Amino acid sequence: MTPVFFISVLLISACGLIYELVAGTLASYLIGDSVFEFSTIIGCYLFAMGIGSALSRYIHRGLVHRFIWIELMVGLIGGFSSALLFLAFAYTQAFSFLMYFIVIVIGILVGLEIPLLMRIVREQFNFQDTVAHVLTFDYIGALAASLLFPIILVPKLGLVRSALFFGIVNAVVALWSTYIFASQLGARRLLRGACSLVLVLLATGMFGAKKITAAAEDNIYADEIILSRETRYQHIVLTRFKDDIRLFLNSHLQFSSRDEYRYHEALIHPGLSAIPAPRSVLVLGGGDGLAIREILKYPEVESVTLVDLDPEMPRLFSSNPMLTALNQRSFLSPKVHVINADAFQWIDSDPHSFDFIAADFPDPTSYALGKLYTTAFYRAAARHLSEQGFMVVQSTSPLFARDSFWCIANTIKAAGLKTYPYHLYVPSFGEWGFVLASRRGYLPPKTLPANLRFLSVQTLPTLFQFPPDMAPMPMPVNTLNDQILVRAYDRDWKDISH
Amino acid sequence: MKTRRQFVQAGSAALVGLTAKADHPIAGAFVNDNFAAGHAVRDGAPISAPKFEQRIPLVIIGGGIAGLSAAWRLQKRGFHDFVLLEMNAEAGGNARSGENEVSAYPWAAHYVPVPGSQSIYVRELFEELGVLEDGKWNERSLCFSPQERLFLYGTWQEGIEPAVGLSRQDREQFQKLEDLFAGYRASGGFTIPMELGLNQKQSALDQISFADWLRRQGIDSSVVLWYMNYACRDDYGSLAAETSAWSGIHYFSSRPKEDPGPLTWPEGNGWITRQLLKRVGARVRTNQLVRRVQSQGTKYKVQTSDTEFQTDAVIFAAPTFLAPYLIEGFPHLKTFQYSPWLTANLTLERPPRGADTGERAWDNVIFNSPTLGYVDATHQTLRTHVDRTVWTFYWALAQDPPAASRKFLLEKDWSYWKEAILQDLEQVHPDIRNCVSRIDIMRMGHAMARPSVGAIFSPERRILTQRHDRLFFANSDLSGFSIFEEAQFRGVQAADRIMQLLR
Repeated sequence: MTPVFFISVLLISACGLIYELVAGTLASYLIGDSVFEFSTIIGCYLFAMGIGSALSRYIHRGLVHRFIWIELMVGLIGGFSSALLFLAFAYTQAFSFLMYFIVIVIGILVGLEIPLLMRIVREQFNFQDTVAHVLTFDYIGALAASLLFPIILVPKLGLVRSALFFGIVNAVVALWSTYIFASQLGARRLLRGACSLVLVLLATGMFGAKKITAAAEDNIYADEIILSRETRYQHIVLTRFKDDIRLFLNSHLQFSSRDEYRYHEALIHPGLSAIPAPRSVLVLGGGDGLAIREILKYPEVESVTLVDLDPEMPRLFSSNPMLTALNQRSFLSPKVHVINADAFQWIDSDPHSFDFIAADFPDPTSYALGKLYTTAFYRAAARHLSEQGFMVVQSTSPLFARDSFWCIANTIKAAGLKTYPYHLYVPSFGEWGFVLASRRGYLPPKTLPANLRFLSVQTLPTLFQFPPDMAPMPMPVNTLNDQILVRAYDRDWKDISH
Repeated sequence: MKTRRQFVQAGSAALVGLTAKADHPIAGAFVNDNFAAGHAVRDGAPISAPKFEQRIPLVIIGGGIAGLSAAWRLQKRGFHDFVLLEMNAEAGGNARSGENEVSAYPWAAHYVPVPGSQSIYVRELFEELGVLEDGKWNERSLCFSPQERLFLYGTWQEGIEPAVGLSRQDREQFQKLEDLFAGYRASGGFTIPMELGLNQKQSALDQISFADWLRRQGIDSSVVLWYMNYACRDDYGSLAAETSAWSGIHYFSSRPKEDPGPLTWPEGNGWITRQLLKRVGARVRTNQLVRRVQSQGTKYKVQTSDTEFQTDAVIFAAPTFLAPYLIEGFPHLKTFQYSPWLTANLTLERPPRGADTGERAWDNVIFNSPTLGYVDATHQTLRTHVDRTVWTFYWALAQDPPAASRKFLLEKDWSYWKEAILQDLEQVHPDIRNCVSRIDIMRMGHAMARPSVGAIFSPERRILTQRHDRLFFANSDLSGFSIFEEAQFRGVQAADRIMQLLR
């Protein structure tokens, strides 16, 4: 019995430390302040162990019996602790509370283990040996766990499965305790049944771990998710908090219904209002129909062509009542033609020319998207621009990504167009910029459509003024074979987040 | 918001670990094999009597870049009385390509470096094709970003020259070589076309191997040596120990250190072949295996499996090693050696996931792999979203002597090579088997000329480049190595000489 007993001590000690490490790691991942989180978790945990040790004196009878139940509880709570905390972070506001609660409960239970064990075996050894041996193996277990955790467990199993794995270890210790201490136990069948049940639960958790993390991942958004759809091209998520509807594509915020009017008015009107009699308009990207809503404010526009890669976007924004309220049913206008195509390929093959082109693409976060911001793209787009025509390009933030903004402006210029950059403030985005481009000169419009909420004839010219912290940068141009924009953009946003 | 999101994205990968391996069948076959025809020529299989006879002033043998370029030159100068004979079902040679429902893809050569000022015929062709416009390279033909990457120490780095984790010694040796190569570049002796700069004073460099030369420069860093060997395998299909120092230096010193990146197309140099065929295709006859070339006074008789051509002149643009087997009374050749290659086109139903975190580049190389990695055929697409693609996988069998490798290449079946390719790729894309639906493999026993010690300055090579009768050799192997620019140069030169003689 002796070796098996000491292995048990080693194992339960390792389990205890693992749960503590799991909680500390998770908290520092999710909340960020690792020094604070680790310190407080270790403190709470050790203190809770103290409580457990203190409480052990109130257990007088059925020591083995109670020890096994404690093992099962530690296994169950500790095993599922990581998964529970993950889900709590995704679904509730109570992450920290739950975390400290779990840490304290496990701490108390673990604090009970060693005193109970020492008392269980006290008849077989003298006190001096018991203390020495039990504590030795306790500390060896701690060392093993602390080495195993960063080297093997986190990289190979991940946090959820590491916790579950040690939950299983606790339950196995419980199960074999029913055999090694059989002489000190009465009804063993019930205990063994409970052990088996806990083992099955934890093993199921091991296999289902993937589902748990996926569920957590879907729910990391700040507000309530009202729609989540995985299309062939992207992950569309809509959230809502009171009157604020937000659209996320691949986790990047596209608009907030509270201030999107600022963005879309600024995207369309400075250019479109400057064209004497615009008849045909092309929108690249913009599958939410919000840019089209602004374009349809010009009765003289006869046709609006929208090219968006993902058919799901226009479909969603022409059928969902909440969304059609937002874009004022713009997709249902007979003037609007939707084409599902890759923008660059389409623009390369289509023969039509347009009076106004709005290029409203996602930011150049990858080389794939970066192609839509190259001289080759702007040359192709310029071929579609009528003599009087203007093109406007969504150009990221001239404040947060100043290099990127001016790189886009310079690239459009290198494609042979005159450029007129401007910017505005959109609360949910921050300071944002556009580049207007044409073969001809630009004069701010003398009239604008009625009932705009942001733009006015008086204030529009001020958008074209850049304060010193957003002033032009001498950036090289972005080409297909040397996409400096993607690297500049990456650098710009990294600088901000650090 | 951002940090939470980033966490769960990063965390979930660690939490979930790898999913179970699903095994689905991968289709494929050996394609474009021409061993049978090659062995028939080698073993002197009986030649059947010709069914047809034709008189024509000029016959071009071989429809690779050299032959097609000769035809292009002739036609541009108003000379139309010729026929080009190609043994395969399609012309193109090392610049052949294929196409499936996913993409066009190369079967061998897949790029041309931006040509320097001395490559006048390449520049002329590219101007004609719209690749060079008003002195500027067309952005759409230049390789898109990101161009090249290397898998080193468990991660991808940008560029193929190792740059991460270098020791001070590695850095010093790279710098030393860079300085040496810059000196050779400035010497003017290392040019493309190579014939223009060839300088007898540098012939000593052809008498030692590149590996010996590197040793004499004190280069012993394993990382630097890997890169030098990679370069030799890439352009010559041989290791530095089997390559002459002159040729190793040529690889690095014949082109500027910085350029806007190679010119490339989804089907590789097959795009150039297609453009040339648009111009000269009417004079190309495919499936015409030449079996004999006989000199008769001032004329030649060229016999294929079904036709006998009576001609005044011949441009022999096929690999030169075939000459002794085809041309009556031609002496045995000693210095012409070739490296065996294997290329494979892998159709991917989805991009690999797992360890591949970065964006795929056009050329993807694995450090310390015996293969040359893969090139993504859809890299040059204008689309932003690509899920199915084709990868062209390159493998020069450089480790063993060419004859042994050739035998090995022929002995092993498709399954063997399929496994070898997948295992190589699994190092960097653990789920590659779940992505690939098809692997077609092309084996080439004599894929590329191999510039061994002595090859460049050999009298044999010189004699063949300077013939004065009416049979001109034009294959790129006359330059010692098989690159597009050399093939085109030789073809154009042969065409010019023929026109001088026949007019």
